[in-house]
Amino acid sequence: MKMPSKKTLTDLATPFANVTADLGQHVAWLKSLRLKSLVQFNKQGLPSNKHEDWKYTSLWSLSQQEFTHKAEESDVSAEQCDQLALLNDNYRVVIIDGIFSAQLSQLDNLQDGLTINPLSTEEGLAKAQPDLGRQIDITKAGFNALNTLLMNEGFVITVDSGVQIEKTIEVIVINTGTTPNLATHLRNVIVMADNSQATVIEHYIGLTDNVSLTNVVTEAVLATNAELNHYKLQQESSNAFHIATLAAKQGSKSQWKTNNISLGAKLARNDVHSQLLGQQSHVVMDGLYLANNEQHIDNHTRIDHTVANTTSEELYKGVLDDKSHAVFNGKVIVHKDAQKTDANQQNQNLLISRGCEIDTKPEMEIYADDVKCAHGSTVGQINEDHLFFLRARGLDEVSARSLLTYAFAVDVLNRIPSEEIRQALSAVIEQRLPQGGV
Amino acid sequence: MLEIKNLHASVDGKEILRGINLTVNAGEVHAIMGPNGAGKSTLSNVLAGRDGYEITQGEVIYKDENLLDLEAEERAQRGVFLAFQYPVEIPGVSNIYLLKAALNAVRKHQGLDELDAIDFLTLVRSKLELVKMDEEFLHRGVNEGFSGGEKKRNEILQMALLEPSLAILDETDSGLDIDALRTVSEGVNALRSDDRSIVMITHYQRLLDYIVPDFVHVLSDGQIVKSGDKELAKELEKTGYSWVNEDA
Ligand SMILES: Nc1ncnc2c1ncn2[C@@H]1O[C@H](COP(=O)(O)OP(=O)(O)OP(=O)(O)O)[C@@H](O)[C@H]1O
Ligand SMILES: [Mg+2]
Repeated sequence: MKMPSKKTLTDLATPFANVTADLGQHVAWLKSLRLKSLVQFNKQGLPSNKHEDWKYTSLWSLSQQEFTHKAEESDVSAEQCDQLALLNDNYRVVIIDGIFSAQLSQLDNLQDGLTINPLSTEEGLAKAQPDLGRQIDITKAGFNALNTLLMNEGFVITVDSGVQIEKTIEVIVINTGTTPNLATHLRNVIVMADNSQATVIEHYIGLTDNVSLTNVVTEAVLATNAELNHYKLQQESSNAFHIATLAAKQGSKSQWKTNNISLGAKLARNDVHSQLLGQQSHVVMDGLYLANNEQHIDNHTRIDHTVANTTSEELYKGVLDDKSHAVFNGKVIVHKDAQKTDANQQNQNLLISRGCEIDTKPEMEIYADDVKCAHGSTVGQINEDHLFFLRARGLDEVSARSLLTYAFAVDVLNRIPSEEIRQALSAVIEQRLPQGGV
Repeated sequence: MLEIKNLHASVDGKEILRGINLTVNAGEVHAIMGPNGAGKSTLSNVLAGRDGYEITQGEVIYKDENLLDLEAEERAQRGVFLAFQYPVEIPGVSNIYLLKAALNAVRKHQGLDELDAIDFLTLVRSKLELVKMDEEFLHRGVNEGFSGGEKKRNEILQMALLEPSLAILDETDSGLDIDALRTVSEGVNALRSDDRSIVMITHYQRLLDYIVPDFVHVLSDGQIVKSGDKELAKELEKTGYSWVNEDA
C-alpha cells in the first residue's frame, strides 16, 4: 500500500480501509458487525476539526503517518514485565504489540466466578458476544467504527453474580517499538453480574519513542448492585497516538469508580462515557493529565443520568507545562425522567509555563427540574504565598514548586479506595514531575 | 546576630519602611509594637526574603553576611525563621512532609545527614508535646482546616523543630486563647538561649508578661520611633500610640 507523501484529512480513512483483521473470520456475528462498521467508517472516516467534538484536537499529525498492522516478533522478559507492572501479586493480562502473551500473563488459579480471556480466543469471543458493541455507537464515532472493523485483541473479563474478586486485575499493554508505526486496535469487555465486585487496571506503556497508534475501546456492563473499580494509566511513548473510548452501562445501585491518568503520548484522546440506567446507580469519574513538551491531551467525558435518583461525581485535574495543550470537555446530561439527580463536575488546571494552553468546557444539560447539579472549571498558577511559605521553611524553589504541583495532582487519587493502588499511582505521578520527585 | 541599618523598602513605588535601624544581639529578645499599617509585617517579610519589595536604601547584616543578598530558602537554611501573621493552608502537602523537608533542608546546609524515619518521629513527638499538639495534626494538610489558634501553634511547632538562630514572630499571640497563649509562650521560652535571638511583633502587652523582652520598640509609619525596656510596653498599654508620634 503506497501512500502519497502529503495527505489531507479527508484521505485519513484510506490507509485503514485496506487492512483486514484476522480475528473471527468465520464467526458470523463478528463478520456482520465488521461489515456494518466498514460501511460506517467509509461514511465517516476519521473526524476533522469541523466535528464539534474534535474542535480543539487536530488529527493532522496522525494523518501524516503511515501505519502498519503486522507486528514483528518482540521480546519482553518476565523481569521487565514485573518492573513495568504497577502492582505485584495480582492477576495479570499482558498484551505485547497488540498480541496477547500467555507467557507473561498471570491467570492461573482464577477465583471461582471469574473468567479472564483474550478476545482472540474462542472463549473470549463467546464471552464478549452478548455485550460487545452495545456500549458504543459506531454511527457517531469514526474511531469506534474503525476499532470494530479492525479489533484483533483485547481482554474479556466476566464476574459471576455475587462474586467479589479479591485480587486486582492489571492489564498491561506494552508497545515495544520493535515495529515502527504499529497500529493496534484493542477491544476490551468487562461484564459484571449483579452483586459482583472487581478492580481492573488498564496500563498502557511505550518502551521506545517510535511512532505508534493505540486505538482502544473498553466496554463495561454493570448489573444491579455491581461495583467496578477501574483505573487507567497511560504512559505511552512521546511519539504515540493514543485514542481510547471507555464506555459503561450501569444498572440500578451499581457503582463505577473510574480514574483516568494520562501521562504519555504525543496525542492522547479519551472519550469516557457512563450511562446511568438504573435507579441509585453511581459513578465516580476522575482523571488527571500531566502534559509537557508539545503533548496534546484531550479528555471528553459524558455522563447520562437517564432515570431518577442517580448520582455522579467527577473531578478532572490537569498540569500543563512547556508548550503542551489540553482539552477538557465534560458533558453531564440529566434526562427528563432523572429527578433527584445529584451531579458534581469539576475541572481544575494548573499552568506551569507561559506557552501551554487549555480549552476547558464543563457542560450540563438539564431536562429535569428537581435536581442538584454543580459544575465548574478553574485555570490557575502556583500560588505565590504557598511558594514563599515553603521557601521560608528552607525548601529551594524547584523543590517547592514540584511539591506544590504534586500536591495539586495527587488530589485526584483521593477517591480510590485501595491504599495500595493510591500509593502506586502517586509514586508514578511523583516521578513524572519536572524535578523527578519531591 | 542581626544589624539593620537605615533600611528603606517600597512596594509598587510606595515607601513603607522609611529608615529602620535595629541591632539584635545573640541571646536577646526584642518586642516590636506599633499601630496597624506601620510596616511591621513588611519588615518581617523583607527579612525573610519575600519577593515584591524594592529595597531602596540600607543594609541588613546577619551573622556577618549580607542578608538581603540571599534567597528566602538560603536565609531559612542559615537559621532565619519567620512565624507568619497569617499562616497559609496548603492542602495536599502533609504537615509531617513539610516538617521533614524543612528539617532536612536545614540539616543539609549544616552538613548533617537526613534523620532516619524513627529518629525523626521521636524528635517530632517531643516537639508536639512542647506545643501540646495532637499527633493527628501531622497527617493533615499544612494548616488545612486548622483553627486560627491551631495554625499559630503549628508555626511554633515548626520553629521548635528547626531551632532557628533568629526567630521573627509576627503576631503569633493574636487569636490565641489564654491557655494557648501560655503554651505558645512556653514553646518560645524553651527556645531562648545565649546563641539565639527573638524578635516578637505584638499588639498586646499581655504576651510580654509571658515572654519578657530585653527591649521594646515602637514602629510607626515605617520607622522605629521609640525604644525602651519592658516598661515602655506598659506605658503604651495605658496611653496608646499618639504621644509616641508627637515625641518623635
Ligand atoms: N503588597 C502591598 N501592596 C500595597 N501596599 C502594601 C503591600 N504590602 C503592604 N502594604 C501597605 O504597607 C503598609 C504596612 O503594612 P504591614 O502589613 O507591614 O503593616 P503592619 O504593621 O504589619 O500592620 P498590622 O498591625 O495591621 O499587621 C500598609 O499600609 C499596607 O497596606
Ligand atoms: Mg502585620
